[in-house]
Amino acid sequence: MLRAFRFIVDLFTQRHGVVAFAFFLVLGILMHEASTEVRESVVDKALSTVFYPVQLLISSVNDFKSLQAENDHLKAENARLRQETYHASEGLQELARLHTLVRFDDKWDFPIVTSRVVGHNPGRFLTTLVINRGTHHGVKENMPVMSMNGLVGKISKAMLTHSRVQLLVDPNLKLSVLERRTRVVGFLESVDGHLLSAMIPSHAGVAEGDTLITSGLGGIFPKGIPVGTVHKVRKADLDVMSLMDVEPFQEFSTLEEVFVMQKEPDWIIQELLNE
Amino acid sequence: MSNGGWLKTLLLFVLVFAVQSTAGEWLQILGIGPDFVVIFVVSVALRFGAATGCLWGFLAGFTQDVYAPVEWLGANSIAMTIVGFAVGQLEEHFLTLYVPAKIGVLALAFFVNDLFYFLITGLDKDVVTNLFLTKTVPECLYTLIIGGILFYLSSGKKSNV
Repeated sequence: MLRAFRFIVDLFTQRHGVVAFAFFLVLGILMHEASTEVRESVVDKALSTVFYPVQLLISSVNDFKSLQAENDHLKAENARLRQETYHASEGLQELARLHTLVRFDDKWDFPIVTSRVVGHNPGRFLTTLVINRGTHHGVKENMPVMSMNGLVGKISKAMLTHSRVQLLVDPNLKLSVLERRTRVVGFLESVDGHLLSAMIPSHAGVAEGDTLITSGLGGIFPKGIPVGTVHKVRKADLDVMSLMDVEPFQEFSTLEEVFVMQKEPDWIIQELLNE
Repeated sequence: MSNGGWLKTLLLFVLVFAVQSTAGEWLQILGIGPDFVVIFVVSVALRFGAATGCLWGFLAGFTQDVYAPVEWLGANSIAMTIVGFAVGQLEEHFLTLYVPAKIGVLALAFFVNDLFYFLITGLDKDVVTNLFLTKTVPECLYTLIIGGILFYLSSGKKSNV
C-alpha cells in the first residue's frame, strides 16, 4: 500500500510537477465539460461525504463559542419583542377584520422549517449555502428560503439531512419582482455572481431607494417577500427598460439561520420543472 | 513531503477554510475581504514545489467549486491548479525568495487565478472588467497586506529556529 503511494508520488513529482499539473488540469477540464447530471452528482457526493460533515463540525464549535453572546442578544430581543407583541396583537385583530371584509386569501400561511447555515462558499463569490435540514425534515427542492430581513433564495438540492440553498446572487436564479410604490413588475438577476440587478420598465419611474418585493409570478416564491432596495438606476440597452442595481435586505455572508417556507411550486411550474 | 508534512498541510487546509468562512467576513471592509485560500496555495507551492502546489491548488479550487454554481464546476479547480504549478515552478527556479519577492508572487498568483477563473466561467467582457476593477484589484491589495504580514511572521519564525 505504502509502496503504491510512493510510486504515485514519484510519478507525480517527475519532470518538475508537469505530470501532476497535466493530471489535475485534465481532471478540472473533465469536470467543467461534464453534463449537468454528472456535475450535480460530483457536487452532491463531495458535499455529503466530506464537506458537510467537516463544516458541521466546524460550525458546531463556532456555535458553542457564540452561545453566550447569542443568549445575551436574545434576552435583549425578547424584551423588545414583548413590547412589540402588544402593538402587533392590536394590529392583527384589525387585519383579521379587514381580511374577512375583502375575503383575502392568505398565501403566506405555509409551515416554516427553521435551519442553521452550516456551510458556504469559502471563496470570494458566495452563491450557495448548505443548511442542516433536508427531506427528512420536510424540505424539498424549489422551496423559498428567507431570513428575518428578506428573501435569501431557494432550495436547489434537498438531501436527507441537509440541503443546498441557491442564493439570489446565483446567476442561474432569476425571479419576478414587484416595486412596492409603483406596483410595476420587473425581473431580478445577478449576471456576475456578486451584484444584483433588476430590469424594470422605464415609464414606471422607479427611483433610488424604492423597495422590491417578490411578485408571486413564476410560481415558486409567494407574493410580498421583501427582496431589496434600488441602489442605483442605470440606462439599459433598451430605452423602454431601466437597469437597476439592487441592494438585498440580507447580507448573505453573515447568515446564521434561515427559514425554509414549505411552499411547493404551483402545479404548472412543477410540471415544467419535471419536464 | 513527509507523512507528517502531509498531515500538517491537511490541518492547515481545513484551518484556512474555517478562517476564510469566519474571519474572512469579519475582516471585510465595504464588501472587500482578503483571500486566505490564495495565500495558502502560494505558501504551499513556494515551500514544497510545483507537484504539491498543483495538488493543494486543485483541492482548494475544488472546495470552492462545490459551493459555486454547478455550471461553473471546475473553474476554480483549474485556476488554482495553474496557480499552484506556476508558483511551484518559481520556487524551483529561485530557491530563496525574500518576503518582498513572495508578496510579488502572491500578487501575480491572485491575478492569474482571477484571470483564468473569469475566462473559464465565460462571463461577459463588461462584467469581467467591472469585477476586475471593483473586486479583484481591491481584494488583491487587501490580500497582499495580510499575506505580507503572514510571510513576514513565518520568515521571522524560521530565522529564529
